[in-house]
Amino acid sequence: MKKLILLIICLSLCGCNDYAELNRLSLVTAAAIDKNQNKYEVTLLIANSPKQDTSAKEGEAKTTVYKANGNTIASAIKAIDRKTPKQLYFSHINVVVISEEIGKEGFLKIADWLIRNPQTRNRFYLVQVNKDKASDVLKIISPLESFPSQSIATLIESNKNSRAIGDSASYSNFIGRILEKGYEPLMPTININGNPKKGAKQENVETAEPSTYLSLGNLAIYKGDKLIKTTNKKESEMIHIINNEAKELLYSVKYKDNHASIYSNDLKTKIKLNNSNSLDIYVKGTGTIYEINGPINLNKIKNLKKLEKKWNKSLKKDIDETIKKIQNDYKSDIFGFGNLIYKNYPKKWKKIENNWNSKYFKNLKIKIHTNVKIVSTGSLTKTLEGEK
Amino acid sequence: MGHNKKERWDNMEKINTKAEKVIDKIKKIYGGSGDVVNRIIDIKGTKVGCIFLESSSQTSTISDFIIKSTVLAEKDKNLFNNLLNILKNKLFNCQLFTIRDFNEFPYYLSSGFTIIVVDGYDEAIVMETKANLDRGITEATSEPIIRGSKDSFTESHSKNLGLIRKRIKDPNLWFNEIKIGRRTKTKTTIAYINGIADDKKIKEIKKRLQKIDIDGILDSGNIRDYLTTQKSIFPQIKSSERPDIACQELLNGKIIILVENSPFILILPTVFLDYLKSPEDQNQKSVNITFTRILRFIALIITILTPAIYIAVATYDQNTIPDKLLISLAVQREGVPFPTFFEIILFMTIFEVLRESDIRSPSNMTTAMSIVGALVLGQAAVDASIVSPITIIIVAITSISSLIFQDTDFINGIRFWRFLFIIASSMLGAIGIISMCLLLITKIASLENIETSFLSPLAPLEIDANKDTIIKFSNKDIFKRPKYISTKNETKQGGGK
Repeated sequence: MKKLILLIICLSLCGCNDYAELNRLSLVTAAAIDKNQNKYEVTLLIANSPKQDTSAKEGEAKTTVYKANGNTIASAIKAIDRKTPKQLYFSHINVVVISEEIGKEGFLKIADWLIRNPQTRNRFYLVQVNKDKASDVLKIISPLESFPSQSIATLIESNKNSRAIGDSASYSNFIGRILEKGYEPLMPTININGNPKKGAKQENVETAEPSTYLSLGNLAIYKGDKLIKTTNKKESEMIHIINNEAKELLYSVKYKDNHASIYSNDLKTKIKLNNSNSLDIYVKGTGTIYEINGPINLNKIKNLKKLEKKWNKSLKKDIDETIKKIQNDYKSDIFGFGNLIYKNYPKKWKKIENNWNSKYFKNLKIKIHTNVKIVSTGSLTKTLEGEK
Repeated sequence: MGHNKKERWDNMEKINTKAEKVIDKIKKIYGGSGDVVNRIIDIKGTKVGCIFLESSSQTSTISDFIIKSTVLAEKDKNLFNNLLNILKNKLFNCQLFTIRDFNEFPYYLSSGFTIIVVDGYDEAIVMETKANLDRGITEATSEPIIRGSKDSFTESHSKNLGLIRKRIKDPNLWFNEIKIGRRTKTKTTIAYINGIADDKKIKEIKKRLQKIDIDGILDSGNIRDYLTTQKSIFPQIKSSERPDIACQELLNGKIIILVENSPFILILPTVFLDYLKSPEDQNQKSVNITFTRILRFIALIITILTPAIYIAVATYDQNTIPDKLLISLAVQREGVPFPTFFEIILFMTIFEVLRESDIRSPSNMTTAMSIVGALVLGQAAVDASIVSPITIIIVAITSISSLIFQDTDFINGIRFWRFLFIIASSMLGAIGIISMCLLLITKIASLENIETSFLSPLAPLEIDANKDTIIKFSNKDIFKRPKYISTKNETKQGGGK
């Protein structure tokens, strides 16, 4: 009996401190951070707000967006907390969208809150919006997903292989790269196509062709925690190849005034450091011809070899150009070459560390070797024009 | 029986030599009950008394044979022996003998025997004229199976023994009989196969049974408590109404207890994993049985943990589940006035009430009850926003999973622990569930009965015996009997190493 009383006392003393009923929580699934004059403007997307009737039969959640300003993120959130009737709950944040301004000013300033808050997990996607306000992204209702944060997450996940943004989009990865020596981070971007105001209305999804929708943009290059420049499509693809993240690639080769699309899903890149000043990049893989819009007889091995050679050459050129551009114009070592030097030649790294991006990265001698092969021509051996 | 007999010899009471006085005395013992019938026959001056209980005897047999034969007996120098011989020769009844102790009269009379006393003799002739008060052998109702023998034990003790004997013809199948109950004098038989069953365990069981000093035993369930030593909510003795199960267990070296007037036998020793087995496991393909047992094991975990996990996830550990599920749960809970814990407890209780009333009510009322249960409590409660649909789902999953087990005691044991888990998780969340799991495992592991750990053969681990626990090997490949049951005569079938 004494034991029982002791047990009851023990149990009643502990626990219940983080007790929270589900229907008293506001589940935040996305956050957007903008700069409004000198203050931060934080927008939160709350997923569980049954707007019309409380019947749970529908099982369909409606989303609500709350906005507030503050000198710090935390104070802005506190202001939102005063507006929402329920307690904000952050552990299910899926996506954090930041504006270009925040990116230019430096991401680490706001990262502190995201890490320090015990509720948030580090496994959400981090995207930067191009031009528009970050808060607008959260308002766009997608026709295919039940709420905006989901649609962004799905957009990123479905493009994981083809554009390899899955890896660079995760928050922990981004922070990891900022902190690592000789490594600069990348961030995927998102575009609002159409009028953001129209996209926030339910009518937008009721039409067969929504006028406003979200699409994934190209990669943004950061230096430290600051935005440098957003790349173009080709550069983004090449960066993926060099970072050995491009699992799927559709590459078009110009061949005798015609275009051939070659698809490959096993591209592998190896970087070999020769010494602290030069390195080799080996790209290996196989490809399948997806489309040729001209009369090329692929039955002849000679032609196939020619096309293959062309592909190799053109790929090499593209990679080379991209690296050159990043070395000279952006001066940000997003490939982590400096990290390789730091790991292999730590003593040398100490000397060059401070001037790495500005001086030494530019002068790094990089040789590119491509070895890609066409293994299949698809279901057609010739072209349709050739058959005629 | 030795113990009881000795006691009886000590205070033996001689039979009065006057037949009429004996009859009067019996009437007096029975308090003038209407079913005590007697007949005094005068054979040339010597009085012969016939006594029997109308209620438990077959009167036609008595009047047709016994009283007729008594009249035929002539007055002789030794009327008693004369009478005995006539009865022996005329009647083909093997239960015919004489007794000298008056104290044994009530037992035989109540069992449906007829007693004949003769003037001038202190002996009595006892003869079986039992009325058939039993129902026939019917199909097992509490343990129905698809493939296997369909007969089941009945209330008749001798029929029950017969059902076992007919399956195991080995004379080493021994039945030890004990009478328990000061007033009921219930026949209780300990059945085992001599040479397979563990002698120590038999001795211990006998000791425990003989210690019972109670006025009455009416069912095998009554003596269960005397056969265990530890407190536990889980039953430590399995009961069954299937003779094929009884025989299977006897062959494994277990000990069976049959109680008169009870169609349920007790099986000793019983371990936890026995409750995961079903009666037809031996009759089906072993691979399928393995799959079924894994299913039952999952059901066990589901039925104990589901409501607790739901409460923990909904009130403490929201960050452990995927966001889509969490949002769906949150929207479902919108508008429900009760806390999650109370909601679950409320509906678990209502389900238990429903189950209990379903068992107790006559079968023609179950339709009305299922309508009330399913429609009113399920659909209407959700529509009225008194409970969230997920609660109904949780309660349904939990209760369906618990009904996969056949032993009611086991189901109720699970129910008890389920409520403990619910309370723990509503106070501490996931930590509560984990600590409760530890408590449950500790409790089960600490149980022991007649030198057998409740978790055998898992703990202590016996690899060979695990060929028929959760994973069932083919019958062809099981050569040895489990050691935790008995170490005698280990080999079960030839061909093994």
